[in-house]
Amino acid sequence: MIKALAAVLTLAALLLSLPPGRALIEQSMVWHMLVQMPLLVLAGFCASMAWPRVLGSGLRNGLGSGLSRFNRYGLTGFMLAQCITAYWMIPAMVDRAVVLPSADAFKLLGLWLSGVALRQSFLQAPLAVQLFFVGYGLPMMAWLGFYMANTNLRLCNAYSLESQLRAGQGLVLLAIALGLVWAASVREQLLPAARSTLGQQ
Amino acid sequence: MRGLLASFCACLLVLGLGLAALFHATEGGTAYTTETLRRSAVARAPVAVPNFLVVDATGQQQPLRQLLQQDQRVWIVDFVYTRCVTLCLALGTIFQQLQQQIVDQGLQQQVGLLSISFDPESDRPPALADYAKRMRMQEGVWRLVSLQQPADRRRLLDSFGIMVVPAPLGEFEHNAALHLVTADGQLVQILDLAAGEQALKAAAALAALSAP
Repeated sequence: MIKALAAVLTLAALLLSLPPGRALIEQSMVWHMLVQMPLLVLAGFCASMAWPRVLGSGLRNGLGSGLSRFNRYGLTGFMLAQCITAYWMIPAMVDRAVVLPSADAFKLLGLWLSGVALRQSFLQAPLAVQLFFVGYGLPMMAWLGFYMANTNLRLCNAYSLESQLRAGQGLVLLAIALGLVWAASVREQLLPAARSTLGQQ
Repeated sequence: MRGLLASFCACLLVLGLGLAALFHATEGGTAYTTETLRRSAVARAPVAVPNFLVVDATGQQQPLRQLLQQDQRVWIVDFVYTRCVTLCLALGTIFQQLQQQIVDQGLQQQVGLLSISFDPESDRPPALADYAKRMRMQEGVWRLVSLQQPADRRRLLDSFGIMVVPAPLGEFEHNAALHLVTADGQLVQILDLAAGEQALKAAAALAALSAP
């Protein structure tokens, strides 16, 4: 089930970079930054769940568990995802991905991998480390969105100001939504601990 | 403990590579938009303007380089399309002011204004003539041309680094700016639309430099 989901999400994101789907991301910043990019990260995230032997740390002796030695507390994975997502939030790089197929291919691979890294890191990171990266990454996204929605300056030569405005609003909403999803997951993560504390009393 | 050290080193390595990539992409943190990158690239190394055949309001055709060269003036170039009713009207106003300043300061021999249409299919000589009249262009100060071959449009825009995108109501949006082009066809500087006076000064200085 999760394998099918990961495959479908990856395919959907790839199709947006190939004609005729490409017209959507060429014309609309919303399709590019709020549909394709999050889809790639989500696809990587799901792929890591679907193939733990290669992309996860679930099984012994797999490539994943070998790599997880370098990802204690999820530090390296979070840092990688942070760098990749920050890079693809630079307006000039968004333009490049529209104009240059090689940059676009780099974007597809990078964001997908950042999804894999995020999933791995959330598995291994204590809440404090999660809070540190989530608390840095999401406000960065919201701040960029807020700026994009409120400036009269066209930040991307490839998109109209109108498109940028809507993408900016969307980025703010996405940051809020992701924050809520994480908050809900915190509750899940804390529940077992709370139960065991209750059991001891 | 050894495991933690490995993770720590890996994390620092990723951070270092990440910062290097970001540093490289933004030219050391100075340029976050394509427009800034385009301007600094031109400032570092001038770009030769392509030599396409252009046509003016009277229907006269000539190669762009020849037009640039004929009076040995430095040109302030912008890109327009005459159907425009919103954004490039502002651009037109800026050029009108520049035209007035050129006349007031007696710079007609040194600095010229050139508007190039990026909509060659609908901007034929009659449309150009109409626009020139609307903008009160003064012959000898401000020239308006369109491409003779619409097929050249893409390469012309690419050489200047202009991206035209469709906007609501059938309009276009593009990275409008003031482009300084020398008589020998070199794009040497790109300035903000708001920096009209600065552009005029820079053009006059360039003209003085190249004067015999």
